[in-house]
Amino acid sequence: MDTTTAHQQMNPFDKLLDKLCLTPAGLLGLILLFALPYIPPFNQEYMLRWLIYCGFIAAMSVGFDLTAGYISIVNFGYAAVSGFGGYTSALLVINLGLSPWIAMAAGGMTAGVLGLMIGMISLRLRGIFAACLSWFFGLAIMGLATKMVWLTRGPSGLRTPRLFETDSNVPFYFLIIILLYLIYLACKWVVRSKMGLAFQAIGQNMDAARTSGINPVYYRVFNFTMSCAIAGVLGGYYAHFYGILTPDIMHTGKTVEVLAIAYIGGRGSLWGGAVIAFPFIFIMEIIRSSLSNLPGLNLIIYALVLILVMIYYPGGFSYFYDTNIRKVKNKALRYFFNGRA
Amino acid sequence: MSNKMVVNFTSWIKSAAGISITISILVAVFAAINSGPYLIVNTVVTGGMLALVATGLTLMLGVLNIAMFAHGEFFMIGSLTAYYVFTPISEFISENPESFVAVIGPLIAIVCAAIMGAISGVVAEKLVFGPLRKRSTDNWVMNSFLLTVGLSVLLVNLHQLIFGADFKGIVGYWSGMPISIADVFISRDRAMAFVISVVIVAMFWFFMTYTRTGMSIRAVSQDITGAQIVGIDIEKIVLLTISLACALSAVAGGSLLFMYPSYPTVGLEPLYLAWFVVILSGLGNILGAVAGAFMVALLKAITVEYIGAGWDFVIPSALIMLVLIFKPSGIFGSDVRGALDK
Repeated sequence: MDTTTAHQQMNPFDKLLDKLCLTPAGLLGLILLFALPYIPPFNQEYMLRWLIYCGFIAAMSVGFDLTAGYISIVNFGYAAVSGFGGYTSALLVINLGLSPWIAMAAGGMTAGVLGLMIGMISLRLRGIFAACLSWFFGLAIMGLATKMVWLTRGPSGLRTPRLFETDSNVPFYFLIIILLYLIYLACKWVVRSKMGLAFQAIGQNMDAARTSGINPVYYRVFNFTMSCAIAGVLGGYYAHFYGILTPDIMHTGKTVEVLAIAYIGGRGSLWGGAVIAFPFIFIMEIIRSSLSNLPGLNLIIYALVLILVMIYYPGGFSYFYDTNIRKVKNKALRYFFNGRA
Repeated sequence: MSNKMVVNFTSWIKSAAGISITISILVAVFAAINSGPYLIVNTVVTGGMLALVATGLTLMLGVLNIAMFAHGEFFMIGSLTAYYVFTPISEFISENPESFVAVIGPLIAIVCAAIMGAISGVVAEKLVFGPLRKRSTDNWVMNSFLLTVGLSVLLVNLHQLIFGADFKGIVGYWSGMPISIADVFISRDRAMAFVISVVIVAMFWFFMTYTRTGMSIRAVSQDITGAQIVGIDIEKIVLLTISLACALSAVAGGSLLFMYPSYPTVGLEPLYLAWFVVILSGLGNILGAVAGAFMVALLKAITVEYIGAGWDFVIPSALIMLVLIFKPSGIFGSDVRGALDK
């Protein structure tokens, strides 16, 4: 493919789409997400709460996929890092009276520093060892949050002020969709640059990458810092949306939830998890609330889907999309699914 | 001759293994003098059981290259089986307390737990790991690890769905007066739990060292291709290993039922601790795992004693992180990097 001529022939709309890392199908999906709170079955408050949770997990899975899909390290303490950002943000608001918005950014920054630390100390480790290290790190942070009752009020929960002073969930919903998109955009820009190439090289074969002149220290630490900063901002959002923060947000189970969505969506695609989270988590919530006499059924389906995808379709949804849907014969549909780029 | 032994001994003392074992013995002695021997009893009982779980985990890692996240769930399966087997037996015992069942009954429950663990291990291999092994060759360690994550969520929630989330516990296995050793009273259950773990670990070590099957398991863990060349049936060894590992974990669950009642997430704590042990002692090292299990148990007991309950994840995980940073192969491990590094 001759990309340079393709770029010259692009009309401004396609160029803009390319800059925004969207295909026409993606744009339509985004518009649909923005319209969703006004479409009848979804405009009820409890449905919006579910959708917000979907958006939260979707955004987490994008940040998670930046580490897991590109440098092939599963950050098993991801939920703990996110909770750390959430607690920082909540404590800043409560004790120093900062605005929740600034506190959210501060939470992201502190979580980024934490990510820097995890990245630095896990430098010598690979694969499963790095996953274990981040897991133990997460366990330690969760233990601290549970035990430092004088600061975090422990398992009884910390009451936090909400971002918007309304009872309506609509502004929160728009905020999480915007956050999700911004996070996706930031990750996609990084991944598209030379840095993304370096990430993939490190993820596939660290020694070969090192031989060809890539300094893994810089790239790995940068990747960890960025992905953890994203988790921190989202943790802050979580804290200021639900209004109550318990150490449960740091539990390994939360990481597993994000991990399952990221892998079912397809690792290394960034958008796969974000797309799959909405229908998947939504259906899970419906099952959980309508079959409440069968507790845990939704998680059983969850686990079964994860196991089946891991065994029979390791590429996940994004692989399915790339191999089947993107290759349609019809020219208009092809443009719709691929964009001009 | 004796001079050589002295040299060997001093070089062992200077190694990481020697230093850590010496330090932990000294700490144990100090703690026993300072706050009473019950601390040592606790350490020894939990350490023995942890040794069972951790040897299973390290076996899975060494032979199958599966970083098992669902190992605690086999602990849960063991305790659940023991509960459902022992409840009718205990009713029978309470009606006729003098019969021999009072002595044999708990053992039956624990053996059933082991059998159930082995069966569920085989089922997991046939339904989950086998298909993955047939289909994927690259990135096996990470894929199988994620698969065990899914398996763990599945088993926990199946327990909750079928048996409910309440605590299913028993008062005790063996009734009667506690045994007293040097002013310390040890309940019979604890003493028996320790005896069971010692017997099983000894039998297991003997099995791995002297029998032909044990040797072939070790051969597979060292080099699969080489083992295939000398005519070892890999399929059979894989099945045997997985059932052994799961049975070990289930035995621990079954014999600790009096301490940990069975509920869906009972396996999490043994899982965390067993992972601490495995990282501390190096992957795939069975005797190291036994020593590491006692160290982790000591660490936990001392943290609870001197810092307070609830800190027993913070302090050990911080220490284990230090081990990971400075000696990623573990204190008893060799520096050979294997498939697990990928």
